[in-house]
Amino acid sequence: MKKLDKRLLRMIKITKGQYIAVVLIIVTGIFIFTAVKNSALNLRDTVNDYYDSANFGDIFVSAVSLPEKIEKELIGVQNISGSEARLVLDVPLILDKENENVNVRVVSIDKSENKINKLFINEGKRNISEKNIIVIKQFADARKIKLHDEIKLKINGRQHTFNVTGIASSPEYVYIMENEQTLMPDPENFGVVYVEENYLRQISGTNGNFNEIVVKLNSENDIDKTSDFLKDNLDKYGIKRVVKKDEQLSFGMVDQEVEGLEKMSQSVPIIFLTFAGIMLANMLSRIVKKDRTSIGVLKALGFTNYEIIVHYLKYASTIGIIGGIIGSLIGTALSSMMTSVYLQYFNIPMLSIKFYFSRILAAILLSLLLCMAAGLFGIRGILKINPAESMQAEAPKQGKRIFLESIKFIWNKLSFSWKMVLRNIFREKKKFLLIAAAVSITCSMLIMTFWMNDIIDVMFNKHYTEFMKMQYNVGFTSFLDENTKNEFSEILNVNDIEGRVELPFEIVNGSKSKIVTVIGLEKNTVFYDVNVADEGIILSSNLADYLNVRIGDKILLKNFMPDKDDGYVIVKEIINQSLGINGYMNIDYMNKLFLDKDIINGVYINSLDDVSKILDNVDNISSIQSQSDMKGMFEQFTGMIAISIGSMIIFSGLLGFVIVYSMTLMSINERALEFSALRVMGFTTKEIFYMLIKENSIMSFIGIVLGIPLGKILIDYMGKMFSTDIYTMKEPLTAPEVIWAIIFTIAFLILAQLITYVKIYKLDFMQSLKSRIS
Amino acid sequence: MSDIVLKVESLSKNYQMGEVVVKALENVSFEAYKGEFIVILGPSGSGKSTLLNIMGGMDTPSNGQVYFNGELITAMSDKELTMYRRNKIGFVFQFYNLMSTLTARENVELASEICSDPIDIDDVLNSVGLLERTDHFPSQMSGGEQQRVAIARAVAKNPEILLCDEPTGALDFETGISILRVLKEVNKKYKDTVIVITHNAAISQMADKVIKMRSGKIIEIIKNKNPIAPERIEW
Ligand SMILES: Nc1ncnc2c1ncn2[C@@H]1O[C@H](COP(=O)(O)OP(=O)(O)OP(=O)(O)O)[C@@H](O)[C@H]1O
Ligand SMILES: [Mg+2]
Repeated sequence: MKKLDKRLLRMIKITKGQYIAVVLIIVTGIFIFTAVKNSALNLRDTVNDYYDSANFGDIFVSAVSLPEKIEKELIGVQNISGSEARLVLDVPLILDKENENVNVRVVSIDKSENKINKLFINEGKRNISEKNIIVIKQFADARKIKLHDEIKLKINGRQHTFNVTGIASSPEYVYIMENEQTLMPDPENFGVVYVEENYLRQISGTNGNFNEIVVKLNSENDIDKTSDFLKDNLDKYGIKRVVKKDEQLSFGMVDQEVEGLEKMSQSVPIIFLTFAGIMLANMLSRIVKKDRTSIGVLKALGFTNYEIIVHYLKYASTIGIIGGIIGSLIGTALSSMMTSVYLQYFNIPMLSIKFYFSRILAAILLSLLLCMAAGLFGIRGILKINPAESMQAEAPKQGKRIFLESIKFIWNKLSFSWKMVLRNIFREKKKFLLIAAAVSITCSMLIMTFWMNDIIDVMFNKHYTEFMKMQYNVGFTSFLDENTKNEFSEILNVNDIEGRVELPFEIVNGSKSKIVTVIGLEKNTVFYDVNVADEGIILSSNLADYLNVRIGDKILLKNFMPDKDDGYVIVKEIINQSLGINGYMNIDYMNKLFLDKDIINGVYINSLDDVSKILDNVDNISSIQSQSDMKGMFEQFTGMIAISIGSMIIFSGLLGFVIVYSMTLMSINERALEFSALRVMGFTTKEIFYMLIKENSIMSFIGIVLGIPLGKILIDYMGKMFSTDIYTMKEPLTAPEVIWAIIFTIAFLILAQLITYVKIYKLDFMQSLKSRIS
Repeated sequence: MSDIVLKVESLSKNYQMGEVVVKALENVSFEAYKGEFIVILGPSGSGKSTLLNIMGGMDTPSNGQVYFNGELITAMSDKELTMYRRNKIGFVFQFYNLMSTLTARENVELASEICSDPIDIDDVLNSVGLLERTDHFPSQMSGGEQQRVAIARAVAKNPEILLCDEPTGALDFETGISILRVLKEVNKKYKDTVIVITHNAAISQMADKVIKMRSGKIIEIIKNKNPIAPERIEW
């Protein structure tokens, strides 16, 4: 072994503490990186595998009535490789309890196995015959439906009883939502069940016809063409909607969730890694400074700059490799756990965590590169070391007066130990700035975390009490005359009631389009915090951003109602809406343009009565949503965000902890001589420790103060990144959030300090006084 | 003794210290012959180290030239100077400057590993009187022993010139003498040119040539017809 390498190994052995401190920082950076990155990748893999193995459809067409032959006719045309026609009916579930109003979606399936959208059986069997029914898992869980239970459905006006022979999951309903307007899955009040195809055709009263067809393509590249083709060619069957895979409700939700995690996995770990790199650079530059004489000797002996730089880079690379291996292994292990926890919120019956050796290798390589780059930056001072000068005893650090000393009235009031502390800080600005930066990052990450924690409640309250003010949203099974609303006043004690239209449209602006529910409201409505003008449309800001439209632009609304027109509308206003993505119009204007005069498909009601119970037996009502229903759904949905938040708190704390710990450790190593001198003078370990604490707490204080505006910046950034169709994060930061973040930051810092106390206590001061050789 | 190894020609070195210019070296010229034992004598601050560092390729002059075997080293690039130090020069410092994490033998090997024509390590260690304690770390050795290791480290490279900046400066009389003896032996055995800096006039008794310096100038060059053995030096 080369003697320089030997020197390196011994150097590492002797300065273990310092070495471990640096490795720890890299391990933390890499482990957070791998954990977050891999859980996003795992989740994406799992989701993709799930859709692949289920042979999830590419295009979903719904129409008034589709003949059986259409299934075969489509195959081979326009890139279509497979198609499956089916009957899909939303029907009421007949319950023993009377005050509940639960709808289920009945979907027809083949006797044994479907080619497209295969079911995953959790319990029971897939084979199905007449009077058998397979229930989707979420619904079964929520309603405690078990195998061999009986289920009664009202199909085509008549009651049918089915025997539950299977409980299954479907890729089409990872999130079970009735339509776009229901923001959250509500598996207790809406479920999906599967009934044998021929039997359902008999009892549905549809003359054996179908009303949906799912199409699978050879490749997804020309999906738009095929979609247009289907729209044109199936028009004669009364096409209602043509939905591409990406727009499919559940698929879109899953995709957004995974995308959110992916975005986080791209941004957050970078912050940690960057910081680990800066720390490493700083530590190496300090090591080089300490080794100044040795480097000078090496140069005098005839070692080239290159050889010496390689020598110190090897030090950095061992840190990179060790840190990379440990970090990526811990991160990978943790990512499997994180993925399975995430999956609990997804209702995906499989978990494909693939162990990619290449990912570990990539993480190690990244760690190595990071350490090399940071190392190079840190040790660039080697070039400047002049061998002749380095051999002379280093010029004593200039006893320069620090800036504070010129402010006499403050300086003179300080005690001796405070003066010493302040002088130390000003003399080692870089080190203390790094501590301050680490603290401010920890603090700002925590601020962001607590903000995200709060924002969920804030967004919910804002949306369901300030923005939407109805206590009940009652949906009809079809369009009815506007005057229907008066009938409610006869059976209920109504405080307020208004008719409404909620209808999905495809909103198009140039090449961008999105399917959203447009809500028709009465002018001066009391139920929404919106003011619909006589004409034009109001868009939620996330929709406007997505479509890239501004006030005054003209957008196309494509109607899904058969035989009704599409039309252009002018954007009148863009509003902030924390949950959901919608358009709002004057109901009369909407009816005039797209429907018929004076019709509604639901009402909003404010009433103190138990509306759900009273309306239970009323005909033509398809859904009743109360404010508390919506709250319940939402809380379930936010579990996943809670996990992200929990892990962020831990990660931020860990980073702050590791940095403060390793910085103090470095400090102790470097200042062993100074401390020894103090010990000889009669200072106690405690007094020295307090001096260190004073130094650190001044910088921590500065760090915390800087952390607040930094947290604000992070919040704005995260708000932009994480805003999806479901939520728009634009809430301000509040004082309690900041205070909690500060408390947690301080707690992490105290912990780190306590551990360093042990270190100081153990340090052999006399030994460090004796050994003063390069 | 007629081969000129090192030729120093009107060498000057100025340091700009704010407003004032410090003349560390002023128009210094002399020649060193192969196998010569030279002592540079002068009070503190007279420019001895500055001169030595320039000759050893560790520093560059403001004016003047240094030739090594006819090659102009003062015109060399950094890279060439490094190679010059690596293969032609051996340094011995006042404070030994051994690598604390390497044993005595490893310190010597560290230097011999990188040069083109090293001398057998055991031979060198033997010459400096260190065969038993070669596995000790510097912290386990006395100053005199450390300086022997440092000399072995410089000699093992088989340099043409050995440059020693106050090699006995940190040692007591007895030990200092023993180090000087080692230097003299190395000088005889390996035919190295040895240049020793000191401000101890007594040491000049053992030199072939004594260069006296004051305030950056050479004030006298004395050829010593009959250099005495180190052990006969009287302080
Ligand atoms: N880097 C430098 N910057 C400014 N002045 C310097 C520098 N190095 C040396 N000098 C000055 O040059 C002069 C000669 O210094 P040099 O180190 O060569 O003296 P010396 O004879 O070796 O002294 P000593 O016996 O104390 O080692 C001194 O006045 C010194 O102050
Ligand atoms: Mg000197």
